[in-house]
Amino acid sequence: MSEESSSESTRKLVLPGDLMETKSKPGRGIFRKDGRVHASVVGHSIDKSGYINVNGIKGRYSPKTGDKVIAICAETGPSVWRMDIGASFNSTLHHSESGWKVPFGDTARFLSIGDAVWAEIFMVDAAGSHQISLKKDDCRKLYSGTIVKIDPTNVSRVIGKQGSMITTIREKTQTRIQIGQNGYIWIDGKGDNISLAQKAVEMINEEATSKGLTKKIEKLLEK
Amino acid sequence: MAGQTDMELIKNGVRLDGRKPDEIREVKIVAGVLDNADGSCYLEWGNNKIYAGVFGPMECHPRHKQKADRAIVQARYTMAPFSVNDRKRPGLDRRSSEISYIVSQAFEKVVMVEEFPKASIRVDMQVVEAHAGTRCAAMTAASVALADAGIPMRDMIPACASGKVNDVVVVDLNKEEDNYGQADLPLAIIPSTGEVVLLQLDGHLTPDEFEEAMDLATSGCMDLYDKMRAALENRYGGKK
Repeated sequence: MSEESSSESTRKLVLPGDLMETKSKPGRGIFRKDGRVHASVVGHSIDKSGYINVNGIKGRYSPKTGDKVIAICAETGPSVWRMDIGASFNSTLHHSESGWKVPFGDTARFLSIGDAVWAEIFMVDAAGSHQISLKKDDCRKLYSGTIVKIDPTNVSRVIGKQGSMITTIREKTQTRIQIGQNGYIWIDGKGDNISLAQKAVEMINEEATSKGLTKKIEKLLEK
Repeated sequence: MAGQTDMELIKNGVRLDGRKPDEIREVKIVAGVLDNADGSCYLEWGNNKIYAGVFGPMECHPRHKQKADRAIVQARYTMAPFSVNDRKRPGLDRRSSEISYIVSQAFEKVVMVEEFPKASIRVDMQVVEAHAGTRCAAMTAASVALADAGIPMRDMIPACASGKVNDVVVVDLNKEEDNYGQADLPLAIIPSTGEVVLLQLDGHLTPDEFEEAMDLATSGCMDLYDKMRAALENRYGGKK
């Protein structure tokens, strides 16, 4: 996913409908027509180990089972919460997946509109609807802190190679940061530190395609 | 479309604005101009100025319009009250609802709607300044905005009109040619296959003239396609 990992393969910008000159099998961001493969989105094509993929540059988050995301409550029902995760549809959080003992109709006492949680996607069905769960690992409600939204395609840049980028930001700003695969990022700490970390994350999002990003971020955080 | 006119719209093979019959007006396309849209585009085509914004895919409202197996494209073409000489009453009218409908139909052919069941993809096109050929310009802008939004599609669709003025078949009519010309033929194609996704004809053309007009409009579309690609490459290429 990250820029570095694909340095040995061919990588170029493609636009929807572009014909791919390849013998590899089609993967993501690709459609077949008359036995030939074309790109379906604006992105970078990567032809590697027998598969050709197009990594889209933009686009909404498409949920995958097992992804850890940050979700924001958008609506409360008598036994469910409808959670915004930046996908095409709101996600459902059923009370039985919340870990709390919720009396019928009393959901808003536990999570009201605007509250955020760190959750895992545990089910995605063919029709595109999905459910999240708070019963896994470290899933919980997020209390203080702030949430920054970035393009889900830039999440890997914020994390960096083996987490190098995010470790730098965490250490330099003394903040707690949790990155959802959906591009929602939770930052907690002292006021000024939060805004510095937020600035860094937003800069990565804006300049995700530029080189030497780690150095730029280090420079920003030194100030 | 007055048909007969005393106005000399074409003189020694040169049109009122100095173009040749097979030349399109100057086009400028910028992708990604609106912060709050998922994808957007600003397009200047001659004196036409258009913003297009794409939102979605998202939950389809009203619910009864949802399709269980695919997404729908909800295009909305509107002209600003100040976009024309006489103030236009804002909101949807007969003409703009027709254009919205045909544009939705055209985009459902290229967007991979089957990937987003029950969803809706909203395409808003706002004409800020109108100078003939806005439906083509709006479609072109919307194509770039859809690609900019990262929505999977089979191709981008450029649209360009051709027509007849003073018995000469010309491409990309301007305001005077549109008002006093003899025919107007907007066309949108899928460049990779040559399929026609939008074709309208206002006025009269003989079969031979029709063929010529189709050829001119098609080559106009291909010119435009290169410019659309350049706009997206400009936004996303460059650095990597």
